[in-house]
Formats: sequence, structure tokens, C-alpha cells
Amino acid sequence: MNLVGAGDRVPPRVDLGGADPQDWVEALSIPGPGQDDAMTRLHQLMVRASHHQVRRMRSMLAGVGSDRLDEIANQAADEAMMAVLTKLPTFEGRSRFTTWAYKFAILQSATEVRKLAWLNREVELNDRTQIVERGPSPASYVEAADLASAVSLAIDAALTPHQRQITIALLVDGVPIDVLAQRLGTNRNALYKTVHDARTRLRAHLIDSGHLPTPHPDQPEGTP
Amino acid sequence: MSKTPLHLSPQAVRGLTLDTEPYLSCDDCFDLADAYVEALLSDPDYDLPAMRIHLAGCAACADEARSLIDLVAEQDGVDPTPTMRRLEDDPKS
Repeated sequence: MNLVGAGDRVPPRVDLGGADPQDWVEALSIPGPGQDDAMTRLHQLMVRASHHQVRRMRSMLAGVGSDRLDEIANQAADEAMMAVLTKLPTFEGRSRFTTWAYKFAILQSATEVRKLAWLNREVELNDRTQIVERGPSPASYVEAADLASAVSLAIDAALTPHQRQITIALLVDGVPIDVLAQRLGTNRNALYKTVHDARTRLRAHLIDSGHLPTPHPDQPEGTP
Repeated sequence: MSKTPLHLSPQAVRGLTLDTEPYLSCDDCFDLADAYVEALLSDPDYDLPAMRIHLAGCAACADEARSLIDLVAEQDGVDPTPTMRRLEDDPKS
């Protein structure tokens, strides 16, 4: 069933009558009519957030019709609802329950759209080692008058082959992190950590070569 | 044969040289996102540097956080623009 089109601003609420549960966790946990009502309301939240996210990202799925977009959003809503119910015991009340629940639908929908958008696209991992005969010479750093050239040289000199592959794919070629994680059989955390470490190496290298300013002594590298 | 230089756009250079300390994982970002978004929308002076820096360095987490801001703001009838603008500011400022 399609409640709304994915092109709508935000799916309108379906009026179920009455108010949302005061204690969502309790309402969703205790069997009975209250639980049924809470489940219906939770699914409505998931549908709303999933359609919102698919609509935001629809430019990534050019040529995909509105029926298919609805299907993607509704499927993501169903999967997000399962995730919320699984994680229910971890809800600590640091935000409203609705905000907490929305983020599951947004994550699920966004991940699905990114994967679909890259379904038929190759992801080329380039560590550039196949075209390297020697590392950059000191003279080449002198020639690297602009930061972009210096960064390019630093990628070759300061990063491991793995860091080069991941960093170039994510930050130069624009491969979505979820897509790369799926292709490599890893996860978003691991890839972000690789990029974080690569950035640390690049910054240190570029500070040494004078292309980035040395951090102020009272503000060590990494201090906001 | 010399190495062919990568062609790096200004956006790529910025992303490659971003200082992303203190480190925050994507899972930690997800855990914090709901409370962070509500705090940002309700308090113009609210800041959580580790989140702000992570969102500057992770395009996927940033897109999802912006979407959550938009959704919650619409639900609450508030203008998300100032909050969105703060996320675009220099992450180290």
C-alpha cells in the first residue's frame, strides 16, 4: 500500500485518533490493544521518515518512477521498524522517542538509495602503485606550488596502499561509504577510521612540507 | 616514467586535509544524532565539537543528520535554516 507519493514534501499523518503513547517503550512492549495501536503509530512514523529521505535523495535515482520510489521507501520503513523494535531496550530517553525512531528510517532509506544508485556502477579501487616507479622527489615538492598538487604527492608518499584505495574512492571518486563498505564486505565504521587515519597522515606530511600551517603550540593538532 | 598526479578538486582537497580530531565513529555519531539534533534546534549556542567535526568529515552521516533536522523541524513547526547553516560552518571554528 502506498500512503503517499515520494515526491510529496513529507507524507501526511494518517489520523489514527487519540494521542501517541506517553511511554512508547512500554506501549510497544506489553501485548494487547495498546501495543497494536503503538505498532501502527510507529509504522506510520517510519513511513513518514522513509519517504522524507527518499524524496531528499531522489536525484540519485534519476529515471526511477514514483511507484518504485514508494516501494523503496515503504520497504525501508518496514526494515527500520524491525530495527527500532530490536533496539527498543537501548532507548534512554535522551531525545523524544519519535526523533530517536526517525533516525533508523533515515539511515535505512539513505543506505538503500545509495546502494540502488550504484547498483550497476563499477567501483574502481586505485592505489596508484601500478604507475609508480619512485616516490616524489624533493624537487617535486618545490614544484607543488599549490595545495592540490602537494596533497596529490602526499597521498603517494604518506599513505599505505589500503589507505590510498579507500581515501581516493571515498574522497576523490565520490563512492558512497555504504556502497564501498558493501563491495568490500566491511562497514561504515571501519572505512571512516581508515579515512580518519589517512587524513592524520596527510596533514602531518603537509605540515612538514610547509603546505599546511603548523598548529599553534597552545592548540595542538586535532584540538578544535 | 613519473607518476601521474591526481586531479583534485577544491572540495576533494578540503576533504583530504580536514582535521577530524577528536575521532568519533559513525556508530557513535548515530547513537548521538537524535539528542544532538534536538539540542541544535532548541539552542542556538549548543555545540558538541566531536559531532560537528565528524559530520564535516563523513558525508553520509552529515546527509542523514541534515535530513533528521529537516524532519524534526517540520514536525515542530520551526525553521531549520539557521541550524543547517551552523552545520555548514567551519568545523573547527
